[in-house]
Amino acid sequence: MLAAVMEQRPQLMQSAAAGDADSFAVLIEPLLDPAYRLAAVMLDNRSSAEDAVQEASIKAWRKLRQLRGDAKSLRPWFLSIVANECRMARRQRWWSVVKLPEIPSVVSSPEHGATSDLKAALLKLSPEERLPLVLHFYLDLPLDEVARALRVSPAAAKSRIYRAAKRLRSDLTQEEVF
Amino acid sequence: MPNENFRRELGNVFDEMTGSPSSALPDRVRSSLASGPEQRGPYWIAGVAATLIALVVIGVLFVGNPLNRQPNKIVPGTGPSPTASAAASPSPSSSAQTTPDSSLPPFVCNSSTGFVTKATTPPQPPVAFIDQVRVGTHAGYDRVTIEFNNTDPSQVDVTPQNSPSFTQSPSGQSVTLSGSAGVLITIKGADEHTAYSGSTDIKTGYSVLVEARQVQDFEGTVQWGLGMSKPACYRAFFLTNPTRLVIDIQTP
Repeated sequence: MLAAVMEQRPQLMQSAAAGDADSFAVLIEPLLDPAYRLAAVMLDNRSSAEDAVQEASIKAWRKLRQLRGDAKSLRPWFLSIVANECRMARRQRWWSVVKLPEIPSVVSSPEHGATSDLKAALLKLSPEERLPLVLHFYLDLPLDEVARALRVSPAAAKSRIYRAAKRLRSDLTQEEVF
Repeated sequence: MPNENFRRELGNVFDEMTGSPSSALPDRVRSSLASGPEQRGPYWIAGVAATLIALVVIGVLFVGNPLNRQPNKIVPGTGPSPTASAAASPSPSSSAQTTPDSSLPPFVCNSSTGFVTKATTPPQPPVAFIDQVRVGTHAGYDRVTIEFNNTDPSQVDVTPQNSPSFTQSPSGQSVTLSGSAGVLITIKGADEHTAYSGSTDIKTGYSVLVEARQVQDFEGTVQWGLGMSKPACYRAFFLTNPTRLVIDIQTP
């Protein structure tokens, strides 16, 4: 589906920019899954993540005319809006009801133990530190798209990815990360 | 390969954290887009409205100037004509020509410092020489006139106070004048030892202004203290040709 949408993108972009909401919905539909995963990692809450993606979609629709660059710019641009929405959601959380994440079942296996350690280390990172890791390692965005999503230079994006990865595994070298 | 192992492990953790989005998410997004507001419309209108409100508020503040009033600010040369002069001599007198009240500033009765200054700063030359200090009494006010023989002082402050006690400078000694209230006149950019040879302590015997005494003539600042029989309103202004600072103390 992504490939099909990519082929139609210029036309869809034109009609979306002209005010056609259906065209915009078709454009961002392939991006909803990565957007949700990004939000779920940042917020550590699945229903809040869906809310954030929905809200970000509306904001992206309102700001579509501000999108600069070719059709390839849509993904990092949309993900940056999602990340910003997650930041806002976290700021609003202090007065709202805090929903606890699901309690995981305990499985004792060596592999699971390593994963649990990694997850514990990941949860110790701030959402801002998790963000470059999700974009680069989980959503497989190339470095220039990570940079655009973070709204920083590619060098700064690379530095953030490496710094966050080193906090998970202190023995990682830069060559192993990139 | 360590990178791939790290990536795979991290992917597993992220998968565990996120799960999959609900199948209803695309429909939710589509319906919210369909029912949502038009592109940028509300923000654009809100921006214009906020700008208009800000402009109105700035305009009101600029025109009304509610927080920065300077009711006591008087500029030399804007007062009555130079031919109108204050009363002369330290003796009680009402024979001198008086200035028409209609063209003078109103008396002020608050205790804050009144500010009388010259429009051109710094003064040229930098120090104004006081050559005469006179007092006089008139219907409705007692007057102190301080005359300069070369230029205007850079700044004058007039400060009423509840007692007739003043601190002399640079000695730091306290001096108490006659009466029960006072006014301190501070003249900056002036000296009184170059051209003045008159009395530095004038006892008047008037109904309100009972004594005038120099309390400082040091480092380009001259201060005179006025002793008054009771707290009273005052007005301050400049006259020209020659430049004179006039302080009127209102009388019953």
